[in-house]
Amino acid sequence: MSGFTDRVDAALADPILKIAVERTAGTAEAKRAIAIDAFPDFEAARTRAAAIKDHVIAHLGAYLEQFEASAIASGAQVHWAQTADEACRIVIDICKAAGARTVARSKSMLGEEIGLPHALEEAGIVRVETDLAEHIIQLADERPSHIIWPAMHKTREQVSALFRAKHANPHEEETIAAMAQSARRELRGAMLGADVGISGANFLIADSGAVCTVTNEGNAELSLVPPRVHIVTAGIEKIVPSMPHAIHMLRMLARSATGAALTQYTTFYTGPKRVGDRDGPEQMHIVLVDNGRTKMREEGLAEMLRCIRCGACMNHCVVFRQIGGHAYGGTYPGPMGAVLTPALDGLAPNRDLAHACTLNGKCQEVCPVKIPLPTLLKGWREKSWHEGLEPTSMRWGLGVWAWFARRPALYRLGTALAIRAMRLIGRTGWIASLPLASGWTKHRDLPKPAARSFMAQYQQEQRK
Amino acid sequence: MTANVALFVTCLVDIMRPRIGFAAIRALEAAGCTVVVPQGQTCCGQPALNSGDRSHAVALAKQTIEALEPYEAVVVPSGSCAGTIRCHYPELFDDDAAWRARAQAVAAKTFEVMAYLDEVCGWKPEGVILPATAIYHDSCSGLRELGIKAQPRRLLKAIDGLSMTPLPGAETCCGFGGTFCVKYPAISNAIVSEKADAIDTTGADLLLAGDLGCLMNMAGKLHRKGSKVRAYHAIELIAGMGDGPAIGEEA
Amino acid sequence: MSARNAILARLKGPVPVAAEAAALLDGPERPAVDAAALESEFLARLALPSVNASHDRIASLADLPAAITRYLTDQQEPLTLCCPPDPRLAACDWSAFTLHADAAADEGATLAIARRGIAETGSLIFETSPIAPMLPNFLTLHHIVLLAIRDISPHLEDAPLPGPQPRAHYWITGVSGTTDIEGTYVRGAHGPRFLHVILLQE
Repeated sequence: MSGFTDRVDAALADPILKIAVERTAGTAEAKRAIAIDAFPDFEAARTRAAAIKDHVIAHLGAYLEQFEASAIASGAQVHWAQTADEACRIVIDICKAAGARTVARSKSMLGEEIGLPHALEEAGIVRVETDLAEHIIQLADERPSHIIWPAMHKTREQVSALFRAKHANPHEEETIAAMAQSARRELRGAMLGADVGISGANFLIADSGAVCTVTNEGNAELSLVPPRVHIVTAGIEKIVPSMPHAIHMLRMLARSATGAALTQYTTFYTGPKRVGDRDGPEQMHIVLVDNGRTKMREEGLAEMLRCIRCGACMNHCVVFRQIGGHAYGGTYPGPMGAVLTPALDGLAPNRDLAHACTLNGKCQEVCPVKIPLPTLLKGWREKSWHEGLEPTSMRWGLGVWAWFARRPALYRLGTALAIRAMRLIGRTGWIASLPLASGWTKHRDLPKPAARSFMAQYQQEQRK
Repeated sequence: MTANVALFVTCLVDIMRPRIGFAAIRALEAAGCTVVVPQGQTCCGQPALNSGDRSHAVALAKQTIEALEPYEAVVVPSGSCAGTIRCHYPELFDDDAAWRARAQAVAAKTFEVMAYLDEVCGWKPEGVILPATAIYHDSCSGLRELGIKAQPRRLLKAIDGLSMTPLPGAETCCGFGGTFCVKYPAISNAIVSEKADAIDTTGADLLLAGDLGCLMNMAGKLHRKGSKVRAYHAIELIAGMGDGPAIGEEA
Repeated sequence: MSARNAILARLKGPVPVAAEAAALLDGPERPAVDAAALESEFLARLALPSVNASHDRIASLADLPAAITRYLTDQQEPLTLCCPPDPRLAACDWSAFTLHADAAADEGATLAIARRGIAETGSLIFETSPIAPMLPNFLTLHHIVLLAIRDISPHLEDAPLPGPQPRAHYWITGVSGTTDIEGTYVRGAHGPRFLHVILLQE
């Protein structure tokens, strides 16, 4: 048993998880379909979005330098981090230099990826998660299970119980609206009292040095405008050449994620507070994080750097819909997570992820930037095979089968024997239990094969 | 139209349900094709390819290409195996120009059987009668790699008495996924259980699809749960063999 | 080697050709907008459930206080308003109102002037400046936005200002909402629960 299969078994045994995932992902799937139908030529828009990202990835170094220069010109400070630890250290150092005791954090998957929540806690800095779902996750002391809806795995009943236990002034009415109000009461003061606001970036605009965030709650703006310091942690692949490029990507992102034409709040931050401004941070820091991205670009995963973190692939994945996000074991779940996690956390402990996929291609079909996710997953399978990480039984089984398959005459003898064996076990037309194929027959019956193979019957007919 | 067509039977049809191969021959001959079954064929190599075992995948691709290249067209009663030959063989020879050219040539003339009958031959079944209601599941590889959606439905529409009814989630994977279903049986079972429930709620008599692997998965689950729905490869009905035993029924 | 140099060393490549980047924007796919009917196109998007904004119309700026009175009275709110220090608003008679410039943590109603409206999405476009603070627009429960009809443009591409960017350039497309609990939409998550647009005709 691997860690993955243990987590899968736990997930499948949890009936509440299934209900919760189905409620949110099912709604997202339906809303996206309506939005895409209403959009003129979404297919061409996907091609364009992929081309924009490919252009940036091909010229990433130059665009990063351009972004850095523009951001510095706007008064922001730019930092570079090769690793997750380095990125966290930079953030902690900025917080310490600012004398920060409390930070308000606006949801960022990059922050999760580099372990920032944990690093802040270790540094003794109070962290307030302001996205409603991240707030739920923080109260429950869990990890996000989805990149758009981190608390997707929780039902309303579970959230209600959590808020009643942890909120100072919890909801009275048992409705989702009342629960959201309870969180609003709880978080508003915390946001206004924070010393530092930390966000990710949905896009970095190379020509202006702006950082773009999108939210539906408005929690980014409430977390980032009042504090004295705004820190952005962003993956280096978030660059786009200009605002019109970002606009195309924003159209794709909102529709793919939630089915909306646009998020409610879309903000481009360019540097700190200006002279005369009535609000805004005194300092703006941007931490550009590599954490394996240059390596991905060098080692055949450049297409994965197109990802804009919309979550459509997981919402439409038959496996994700059954097991939810936590079973994947990494920061990013679903198909995109199955590609990213081996790159971020190593292949050996994560080899299952690439295999736990039916290769049905739905994720690629819905991806707004046309990432060939099944192909990339097969790439990991090949690497795993090449590095000897695949189980011996699998290697041995495939080896024997291929040995026969490469010798058609012997293969025919082999199939005749296999058919005879299977027919001995099947009493009616069905086989209810078959040694060596218990994975199949534990859950379903296997039809008994015909008495003789196609090839045997065909050759006999030809001889007539 | 007359064409010298090679039938690539597929390993699953060869062993588990030869009727599908014979149905394909019957329909192709009715459409005016001369059908040959090249003897050098075994399996297209998809299990190796999808397991990351590139060297065996390459060896089996070469063997299959050699067996199939003498013919005008290659017809396959499986969207998944046809997809492997059409879409993935050329990718296997990135650094071998000679073999890549041969792979591309075979890929270009390889077709899923129903797409071939409908789009290339412009043929329809005539005089086939089967009074039943049926649903069609779109197997993923055929649907997404080869664009197979309308072709089988057009052919099935020409069968007298057959009434097609919609299957909710017809394009949702059934959870087969080749070796996936035995590597992760619990996940596969959860997926196919939902599929079987969706099938049952339609009240249809027959479940049709274009891939035996998916059909065995769905039919095996339906049988285990006591459903009365009977499953066939669509080509069996199209070739006028829909009166024979369904998957799992004794001849 | 610094992290910066180490990262950039691995990303060496040709300098991007500006024309190549620009060509990626030729003929963008985007929702069709009838340029001859921008106002009705904008209002149709404003009324979508995802945007969820109400609107009113005034003939001249002098009518603004009366329109805000109508709205707040209708909402059973007091005539207390967080008002930006924008000189354009000085022309109005605010004698019926209690005005203040800085928003309270639980601000009730805030007025803002949008630089532009976007018909494609029903978005309102804002920029920060000494006369246009940002925070009140997020703290308030009722967000009241003045928009001149002549400032409605077809597409999001019309939103950015040319040249140097303000500290914050932001688009508001509806009220603060969340679907974080079971995918169910709830308004007023953190910011405004109500968005009211007053269209200025002059």
